[in-house]
Amino acid sequence: MDDRKTNWPLTIFLLIISAPILIMYLWLFVDSVSEINTDSIWPTEFTLRNWRFLVEEIPGHGSVWTALFNTTVFASSVVAIVVILSSTAGYALSRLKFPYRSEFLGLVLLLHSFPSVTLIISIFLMLRMIGLFDTLIGVILVKASLELPFGIWIMKGFYDTVPWEIEMAGVQDGASRFQVWYKLVLPQIMPGIAALSIFSFMAGWSEFVLPLILAPSADMRLMSVYLAGLVNDDYLSDYGLFKAVGLFYIIPVMMFYLFTQDKLMNIYGGGTKG
Amino acid sequence: MRGIRRFLPALFMLPASLSVTLFFVIPVFMTFVFSFTTMSSDTGILGSRYIVSEATIRTLKDGDLDAALVRQLDSRVFAVNEAGLAALRKSNLKPTVVKEIEEKLSGKVYASEKQLFAALKGLSNRPRSFKDRKMVSKAVVQTLKNREFTTPKEFRAGLASIGIEVTDDVFDVLLEVANTSWKWTTGNYSELMASDFTWKILANTAFYVVLTLFFNVGLALVLALVTFYMPSGQSKFFRAVWLIPRVSPSVIYIMLWRWLSFDGGFMSYILGFFGVQPENWLNEFPWTFVIMANGFVGASMGMIIFASAVVAIPADVLHAAEVDGAYPWQQVRRIILPLMAWPILFITTYQTLSLMTSFEYILLLTDGGPGFFTTEVWALNAYHTALSNYYGNLRYGFGATLAVVLVAVGIAMSLIYLRLFDFKKLVAEPQIEN
Repeated sequence: MDDRKTNWPLTIFLLIISAPILIMYLWLFVDSVSEINTDSIWPTEFTLRNWRFLVEEIPGHGSVWTALFNTTVFASSVVAIVVILSSTAGYALSRLKFPYRSEFLGLVLLLHSFPSVTLIISIFLMLRMIGLFDTLIGVILVKASLELPFGIWIMKGFYDTVPWEIEMAGVQDGASRFQVWYKLVLPQIMPGIAALSIFSFMAGWSEFVLPLILAPSADMRLMSVYLAGLVNDDYLSDYGLFKAVGLFYIIPVMMFYLFTQDKLMNIYGGGTKG
Repeated sequence: MRGIRRFLPALFMLPASLSVTLFFVIPVFMTFVFSFTTMSSDTGILGSRYIVSEATIRTLKDGDLDAALVRQLDSRVFAVNEAGLAALRKSNLKPTVVKEIEEKLSGKVYASEKQLFAALKGLSNRPRSFKDRKMVSKAVVQTLKNREFTTPKEFRAGLASIGIEVTDDVFDVLLEVANTSWKWTTGNYSELMASDFTWKILANTAFYVVLTLFFNVGLALVLALVTFYMPSGQSKFFRAVWLIPRVSPSVIYIMLWRWLSFDGGFMSYILGFFGVQPENWLNEFPWTFVIMANGFVGASMGMIIFASAVVAIPADVLHAAEVDGAYPWQQVRRIILPLMAWPILFITTYQTLSLMTSFEYILLLTDGGPGFFTTEVWALNAYHTALSNYYGNLRYGFGATLAVVLVAVGIAMSLIYLRLFDFKKLVAEPQIEN
């Protein structure tokens, strides 16, 4: 509300309850580039020592570049699959007539709010049975499939807002439904595709449990598993290093967040994945 | 074009349906199937395996099989067969020696090493040294113990290789006992009902869900209302701040909580000013941190939903209240909260579901500790049972049984969630005839 004046007690109250978040993320940055004294939290000296993981391997933890490469491949593949499959299925569910359409829609809606992490045990067993266990392909397919109901749901929502008149005009002019979709409707929902791409990319980039369980070997390691490995290493208690790796890992996510905050807020607020 | 038009829906739906079916719908179904098996890392996942192990022998000794047969199963024999000869040819023995063994002893089976050595002595090109004779015995020794057979036929051949011929009845008994592959069972469910841990974990889960729910729904309401009464710049800033935990990868977010609470971290430093000794606060108050870490993430979703619900309340109503002299807190109590009953119900339902089934943050923060089962909740316990524990034996079947409970909760809650939408409107018929 624009006509409100600053109410200092309220602002101070909010600052206090927000303090843990503000402090944690401020010190994520501060500690990554400073020497840390064990009995203080204030930086004493600027240093790039914490960023040594970029040029040398932390013993026993492999190369961060392998992890970065895997994470990039993983997140981009998830985006590609989710966006392509959701934009076709979403269109069919929004605009085409076919048998069992409303049953499909009910299933999508049901799965969309289904807690997929409960399936991890049977997915693990199934991947081992079909030989996709411990492969990047396997985790990509699983992650993309689990994101699909959400993606289809979002895309259907975007298609629903495209006026029917556009398609009717196209059909009247003799275009096929496929041409209508490709040439007339798809350009209308580019904002939706952009939003879904960003969302799936961030979901893929952050994913931890699936790769941890389904692709445990070192060559497949993603950034999340790499960082968790460092933090849980009993012989390593170097928060400067952890935070430098963390900052390195979080940069793309924060970039997307800063530049597309409003769009994302719409998706998060749309009563979707929690 | 008619053809394409007819198949367009199938073409558009198929890839997504296939992928969702394979990795989403079938796993739901398979969770139930796996919960009725004894699958574990010991039994393996695929096919059958027949192994005569120490444990098998012990079981057989207690059974009513012929004791001599059991001893024979446990024993070693020395059989000069193709496999043994092949091993001899690869060894350092003189070819003439091997050749004579092949000619004279092929197909012979000796019950002990002594008998084998006696037979070797009778050869003209006999192995001279004890070491050479040992080499022969090592090459031709046969035992059933700990060998893996994948079919009954192979198993029978294995028996034959140590000179055991049995009747079909006896063979069936042996098969049954030696079979270490997984079996169908309802035992997982009875174990679940009988186990004391079940109640401990159930209590933990209830504690965790209820407290976190209060924490994050309450916090979300406070945030939505406070930011509503702020200048738009400030409220935008605070909402952005509260979304950071949600967009952060979980590993980073939890790493920061661990930094905040460890003995060289922020809390210990601040408390130091009040004369409190540095402490690993996470170990002292594990539940507090588990609830806060989950609550801070959960609050953001409620905040957004509640904030948009507050904005949707007609400004006239609030203005009228203001004119009538209502204080902001009276507006909140009498007007805003009653109008938000529906979003609050929605968020509560949704958060209950995700709290009951998620374990990622607890796994990263405390891993169910410190100590034994202190912060172990149901979903985390399923993960530990089936996929990661210190005992070595991963019990897939029992883990799946624990997951079945979660899947059932998930389905029930999704159905409730489904009812919250106006389903009829969502499935409105398309306006262009195909």
